[in-house]
Amino acid sequence: MSINRTIQPPFQSIDSIKLIEPEKIILNNAIPLYNINTGTQDVLKIDLSFDAGSWFQEKPLISNTVNEMLAEGTSHLTSMEIAEKLDYYGAFIQSNPSKDFAGMTLFTLKKYLPETIHILEDIIKNPVFPEHELRTYISKRRQSFQIEMEKVSNLARRKFNEQLFGKDHPYGKNPNLDDHDKITRADLIDFHEKYFHAANCRIMVSGKTDQETIAQVNARFGNTDWVNKTKPGIISTSINETIEKDAFIKKEDVTQSAIRIGKQTINKHHPDYPKLEVVNTILGGYFGSRLMKTIREEKGYTYGISSFLVSLKNAGFFVIASEVGADSARSAIEDILNEIRKLREEKVSPEELKLVKNFMIGDMMRSFDGPFELAQSYQSIIDLGIDNAFFNRTIDAIKTITPEEIIQLANTYLNEKSMVKTIVGKFD
Amino acid sequence: MIKFDRFILDNGLKVIVHNDPSTTLVAVNLLYNVGARDENPEMTGFAHLFEHLMFEGSIHIPSFDNPLQLAGGENNAYTTNDITNYYITLPKKNLETAFWLESDRMISLDFSEEKLEIQKNVVIEEYNQRYLNQPYGDAYLFLRPLAYKVHPYQWATIGKDISHIRNARLKDVKDFFMHHYAPNNAILSVAGNITKDEIEKLAIKWFGPIKNRDIAKRNIPREPKQTTPRTLTLERNVPFDAIYKAYHMSSRMEHDYFITDLISDLLSNGKSSRLYQKLVKENQYFSSIDASITGDIDEGLLVISGKIMKGISFEIAEKAIENELGKIISDNIDDYELNKVKNKYESVHQFGQMNAMNKAMELAYNELLGDAEKINREVENYRNVTLNDIRKSALILFNKNNCSTLYYKTKN
Repeated sequence: MSINRTIQPPFQSIDSIKLIEPEKIILNNAIPLYNINTGTQDVLKIDLSFDAGSWFQEKPLISNTVNEMLAEGTSHLTSMEIAEKLDYYGAFIQSNPSKDFAGMTLFTLKKYLPETIHILEDIIKNPVFPEHELRTYISKRRQSFQIEMEKVSNLARRKFNEQLFGKDHPYGKNPNLDDHDKITRADLIDFHEKYFHAANCRIMVSGKTDQETIAQVNARFGNTDWVNKTKPGIISTSINETIEKDAFIKKEDVTQSAIRIGKQTINKHHPDYPKLEVVNTILGGYFGSRLMKTIREEKGYTYGISSFLVSLKNAGFFVIASEVGADSARSAIEDILNEIRKLREEKVSPEELKLVKNFMIGDMMRSFDGPFELAQSYQSIIDLGIDNAFFNRTIDAIKTITPEEIIQLANTYLNEKSMVKTIVGKFD
Repeated sequence: MIKFDRFILDNGLKVIVHNDPSTTLVAVNLLYNVGARDENPEMTGFAHLFEHLMFEGSIHIPSFDNPLQLAGGENNAYTTNDITNYYITLPKKNLETAFWLESDRMISLDFSEEKLEIQKNVVIEEYNQRYLNQPYGDAYLFLRPLAYKVHPYQWATIGKDISHIRNARLKDVKDFFMHHYAPNNAILSVAGNITKDEIEKLAIKWFGPIKNRDIAKRNIPREPKQTTPRTLTLERNVPFDAIYKAYHMSSRMEHDYFITDLISDLLSNGKSSRLYQKLVKENQYFSSIDASITGDIDEGLLVISGKIMKGISFEIAEKAIENELGKIISDNIDDYELNKVKNKYESVHQFGQMNAMNKAMELAYNELLGDAEKINREVENYRNVTLNDIRKSALILFNKNNCSTLYYKTKN
């Protein structure tokens, strides 16, 4: 019996996704704990998140350094002892510094939770930032900083942030090499005291959790002995008055130039956001996107190109990022701008829209498949203070958005004429 | 323990089925037993270039990605020196689309000069992005031919020379397909909330009609034993010196593989490891250092690579590394330390089995190594390594004559 291979087997659009919402528990000291109990392996992931990102620092690099040095020595354990114990129990810790948040993630086998959570507690509550460890950390960081500064993608990202927000804005400010030498132990102790305490903390526990797991987390982090009453000061932000619309940084001997194109736009708090995410996906948010089709698959200018909507706590922006052949930067930019223009002027075909809708729902299924994936998805909205119904609104937006709405949203939020451009490398 | 079922179609396609009721998605992994080691030395980079062409439409289906995305699926692939691996995740309900797509590109591709030209450009940009436009990005392109004089591991998957990609002809590409892509040279592995019966039905329906093909006979020369130290100095526009030391190790099939893997963990897995504690924290000769094995099927390499701190000479840095390697042989590792790296391995193994895709990939790879069941003996294999094994293997491994060293020097 021969089969017809030219026709796709019957498939279904996915109507609904099983969302396992985290159970919210308030600890004795008022820390919200979010519990996700699912999965097949006897493992756990514990995330502690603090409003302690670089947004809050008064000097460059302080937030990052505090976060990355938490495990470099406490009032009870040396850096070596911490590393030794975590390695022995096969546990991993990861610091998560970003512009808005800072925190620590512990990955541990469930059977060793009593031992490993004890260490997590110590590094969160009692770090001492030993002077000699700080010196070692800084000399390492100086070197890796200088290596990063050789990469066109990093140079472009820095410049782009500056163009979007301004050199002195907490989201636009970039650290320099000299700033490494200005970090003092007192800065770190001060920042830790202000921001790493219970009143500023959220906890997410995921994996095969049970009552005992929650009880242990509560015993370590639920007490009132680490609540700091001092409120962090108000952060002053300057408005970026003079926008440098097109920036070009020349770099000799490159084989590729880095391109960034984008603008400030709405973040996840805005009701239009879920539908704008569909618009972004069509343009550059998946492998089959228009930018990938044109810049990679038709022109062969690049190995990859993507666009993103980035939601910060106090802002949002849209960005297109790519590295293109050094001689192709000018043509690539023209083609990119043209793709945005088409999105504003021409109706998306029903076929393309259906494909993007189905892909996005499938992608949501993937981002809710498994305990750690669920934790990551929910943490991304909880940190921003957004309710769980955000995901239902997103599903709804994907299902109902029309070609007319896409044109309207693209015109409102993604007009290429209002975007800044950054090029690092060669430009004709 | 990962439980699975296994069957072979008449055309030689091996199929593995793993039931994981915890997920609403299905992972479909198709491994082809062809990698960069199977390439003609005059036409390198073909396995990887071919991977790109596999997404350009097949004999009956003009686009691979569109119908998959329409069914809510996502896919990718990678090429190593040993294998080319394709993988898809999609909602369980739409599983058949994956079988339809994968079986069609196993029959034949929709080859054309235009598609080949475009993908040549994309691969050249990949080469630019990953190897040339990154500081230290080309180190392995030089380290490999220093360590291997005969074996095809001397070139990276991107190829020996990018001109091989630039000059690739459609005929050579078609030949490559006919000699390596076939049901009798592939392993299909499926994981999700599925049964053996439904997978068997789908496999017979979509892959069953594909004829088996004559697979190019693998005739890979064995790398002769290295008898003198080898060195190479590169000068590049980078901010700091770096050093790479490559030591020949056993093949994936020998017990020595697990021993050597644990040696690399003693040296650099985790912040408590020897190289990090001594050379980054204590001496501060390096800003970063790593020891890892290449994980190849034939005889591979254990590579130590480090970025040297400004002001420290190659000589001091290298002596310090060799000194630490010497300590693995001299008698100061105890059961506690060996248990530590074994615990860490076991933990990584547990975390690695959290999602269906990882499990499908691991099952297919272990089947290629001879038996998918091996996946369930991995932890035991590592647990069985003794202190004596470590000393004995390290003595052979860290012989100066077994080492190729690349000095990656800053220009100025």
